[in-house]
Amino acid sequence: MKVRNLLKHDNGPIFLTLVCTILAVFVVELLFVRGGDVSKVAFIKAMNVSNVLMQISLTGILATSMTLVMISGGIDLSVGQMMCFIGTAMAYMIKVVGLSNWSVVVFGLLLAVVFQVLMGLIISWTKLEPFIVSLGFMSMYKGFTYLITNGREITIEGKFTFLGKTYLNITESFRLGMPVITLVVLVIIMWLVSNYTKFGRSVYAVGGNESAAYLAGINVRSLKVKLYAVNGLFVAIATMASLSRMGTGNPLMGDGKEIDVIAAVVVGGTALSGGKGNVWGTFIGGLLLGCLSNALNILGVFPYWQYVLRGAIIILAVLLSFLSGRRAVATGRRLSGRGASEAKAAASPAT
Amino acid sequence: MPEDLILEMKGITKSYPGVTVFEDFDFDLRRGEIHCICGENGAGKSTLIKMLSGAHAPDRGEIYFDGKKVEDLTPRSAMEMGIQTIYQEHNLFPLLNVVENLFAGNEVTNGVFIQRSAMVARAKEILEYLHSDVSPFDVVGQLGGGAQKTVEIAKALIQESRVIILDEPTSAFSQTEIANLFKIIKKLVQSGMSIIYISHHLDEVFQLADRVTVIRDGEKVATYDIAALSEQQLIHDMVGRDVSLFHQRRSPVPMGEVVFEARNLSGNGVRDISFTVRRGEIVGIAGMVGSGRTELAELIFGAKRATSGEIHVMGRKARLRAPLAAIQNRMCFITEDRQSTGLFLKHTLARNIPIVSYALTKTPFAFPKEDVRMSQHYVDALRIVTPSVSQLAMLLSGGNQQKVVLAKWFATNAEIFIFDEPTRGIDVGAREEIYKIMAGLLEQQKAIIMISSDMPELIAMSDRVLVMRNGTFVGEVQRDDIKEETILRHAIGSGAR
Repeated sequence: MKVRNLLKHDNGPIFLTLVCTILAVFVVELLFVRGGDVSKVAFIKAMNVSNVLMQISLTGILATSMTLVMISGGIDLSVGQMMCFIGTAMAYMIKVVGLSNWSVVVFGLLLAVVFQVLMGLIISWTKLEPFIVSLGFMSMYKGFTYLITNGREITIEGKFTFLGKTYLNITESFRLGMPVITLVVLVIIMWLVSNYTKFGRSVYAVGGNESAAYLAGINVRSLKVKLYAVNGLFVAIATMASLSRMGTGNPLMGDGKEIDVIAAVVVGGTALSGGKGNVWGTFIGGLLLGCLSNALNILGVFPYWQYVLRGAIIILAVLLSFLSGRRAVATGRRLSGRGASEAKAAASPAT
Repeated sequence: MPEDLILEMKGITKSYPGVTVFEDFDFDLRRGEIHCICGENGAGKSTLIKMLSGAHAPDRGEIYFDGKKVEDLTPRSAMEMGIQTIYQEHNLFPLLNVVENLFAGNEVTNGVFIQRSAMVARAKEILEYLHSDVSPFDVVGQLGGGAQKTVEIAKALIQESRVIILDEPTSAFSQTEIANLFKIIKKLVQSGMSIIYISHHLDEVFQLADRVTVIRDGEKVATYDIAALSEQQLIHDMVGRDVSLFHQRRSPVPMGEVVFEARNLSGNGVRDISFTVRRGEIVGIAGMVGSGRTELAELIFGAKRATSGEIHVMGRKARLRAPLAAIQNRMCFITEDRQSTGLFLKHTLARNIPIVSYALTKTPFAFPKEDVRMSQHYVDALRIVTPSVSQLAMLLSGGNQQKVVLAKWFATNAEIFIFDEPTRGIDVGAREEIYKIMAGLLEQQKAIIMISSDMPELIAMSDRVLVMRNGTFVGEVQRDDIKEETILRHAIGSGAR
C-alpha cells in the first residue's frame, strides 16, 4: 500500500529504482564478489559513499539548472564545452594574468552569464531550435578553449583550492566535499525557486504551453533569457569546483558532460517536451547513474560492458517513469469518468 | 436523366458521437456542371466533402460514381476513381517544385527510375492548357495562393480526375486571382469536368454555378437551377432554422458607461475597426470562418501589434504591446481553442487556475496553499466537476475544461471579457451553464465581446452584433433587428453585388 502511494508521487518511480538498484548491487556484491562477508562489501562503505557523492556533484550541479531549462521546453548542449572554456579561461587568468581568487570568481561568473544571455537572446528572438543554437555554441566554446590553451593544460599549482578541497568531516571516513554541499544547497534553492516563485511557475507554464503562457501575461522571451543566464551561473559554479579540485585548467575538463547531465535530468523524470519534472527527481536520477557507474567498477565489470549496461539502465528507468505516468493518467480518467455522470446529474435540475 | 450523372449520393446518414450530421441526404452531380454548395458555418459542408473524398465513411446510404455503386471509399480509391478534393488549406509540399508536386506519389517511371523529362513535358503541357505562367521548376512555397490553386488543379488533371471538389478556394485571393481561377474552372467544365464548389461568397456562387444546393444542419433544403434562384431565396434557405434550436433570449441588464473603445484599428489582417462596448453589454461579433474575427481579438488583446489606430480602456488610452498590458488593463481573452491556447493540459487545476492572476501580483513569490484555496473556490463557484484540484487539466471533459479557462480569467477580476467561440465543442448542459455565467458577469456590470459562429448563440446573447467580412466590419445589427437573416446577409456580402 505504501509502495503504491510512493509510486503516485512524481519522483516515486525513480526513487524506487534507486532503492532497488542499491539493494541489488549490495546483494550481488555480497554473494558473488565477497562470498557472503558483509564486512567486506565495499559498495556501502562510508568512504565509497562519499566518493560517489563527490563524483556526481559536478554533473548534479549542471543537471539542476538544466532541469529548469528543460522544463521550459529548452535544452542546452553546450554545458560540457562551456565548462572547458570557462575553466581554462579562469586558469589562464590565475596563472598568466595573475588575478586574485575573488576577481577570477567574478570573471568566471560574468563570462558564463554573458555567453548564456547571448545564447538565450538568440533562442528567444529568432525562435531557432535551442538544440541547434546550443550545438553551435558548443563548437564555439571548444574553439575558444583550444585558442586559450593551445591544447595544453594550464596548471594553477595550489591556488584557488577553497571550493574543491574543503571537506566537512562527519565521521572519520565519511566526509562531504564542498562540491557536494554546494550541490545540495543549489538543489534546495532551485526547488524553492521552482515551487515558490512566480519565475518557477512561469518556467512550467512556458514549457507546458507556450502560447497559453504568453496569453496569460508571461513575458516568454525574457523568461528564456533569464533561464539560460541562470544556467550559465550554474555552469560557472560547477567549473570552479572542478578547477579547484583538479588544480588545473584542462581543455577536456567538461568534455562530454552534457550527455551525463541530460541523462540525469531525463532519468529523473523531466519530459523532453517540457512542462514536467522537478529538481529532486534530477537529483535522484544523478544519484542513480552515479551509483551505477560506481557499482559496475566495484563489481569488476569490464569497462566496455559498463557503457552497454549503463545505456540499458537509462532506457529502463525512463520506461518505468513513462509507464507509471500513463497509469496515473488512466486512474485520473477513471475518476473523471465518474465525475462526468455526476455532472449530468448536477446539470439536469438546472436545465 | 440518370445517364448524365457522374456522381450520386442516396440516403446518406452520418453521425458522430452524440450528433447526427446527415440524415437521409441525397445529392447528385451532372457531367460538366458546376454545382455550388451553400450553407452556414457548421451546416455540414465539410462533412459532405469528407464523405465524397473518402476521408470519412457514411454510416448508411449509397454513393454512385459514373453509374456504378462505390463500396468502401478511401482517399486513395477516390483519387484513383477520379474524385480530386482541393481543400481550403494547401495540400502541396511547399519545399518541392511544381513538377515534383504534380507527380508526388504518381511518378512516371520506366519501371525503376523516374523519367524526369517526361514529367516536365507533361507538366508544361498542362500548365499551358491552363494558361498559367507558373514554371514547372518554381518552388511551390514561393508561389502565391492563386498559383498554388492552379498547381492543385493541374495535379487533378494529371491524375485524370473527372470530379474536382473545391472547398472555399478563394479565401485571401486578390480580384485577379479570383478571375483567373474562374476562367480555369469554366474551361475545365467545357471539356466535361464536373465541379463541386463550396463557397460562402454569394457573388461567386451567382457567377459560377449551374446549380446550387443549400444545406442546413445536415439536411438538404433544396437544389436549384441558378436561373430559378434569387439572392433572397438563397439566404432564406440558408437560415430558417428549427425554432427549438434557439435559446431563450437573454433579458438585457441596464448598461453603464463605455469601458472599451477601438478607434480605426488596423493590423494582423484586419483594417479600420471602430467600436465601443459598455458595461453590462454583450457585443457579438459575427462573420464567416476566415473573416478576421479571431485576428481582431488578438489585436485587441495585444497578442499581435496594431499598425495603426487606438484602443481606449475605461476612458484612458491604452498601449497594448503584449497580453500582459491588456491583463493589466483588466481585460481577458478566452480563446477559441482551449487546448492549444487556453490550458496547461499537463498541469493540475491548482496550477492552471491561478496562473494569470500571478501576472498582476507585485511580489516575486508564488503561494501553493493559496493556489489550492483559490482553485477550490472557483471549482465550487463554477461547478467544475473534478475529483480534486490536483487533477490534471487534460483529464476533464470539454465543458469543464472551458470552465477552468474561465476560472483562470475570473481570478484576475477583469472588467472586459473577450470570448472567442465560448461554447465550441461542449455539450448542451455545460453550454447553458456558460451562458448563465456570462449573464452573471453582466449583472456585475462587466463588458463582453463575444465572437461566435453559432447563430442561435449570437442571437440569444448579444445586445448588438457587428458583422465582419474580409477583415473589416460590414454591418451592425441592433438588438431588435438581430435575426439570422440580417446577420448572414452582411456576412456573405449580398449588399456588395
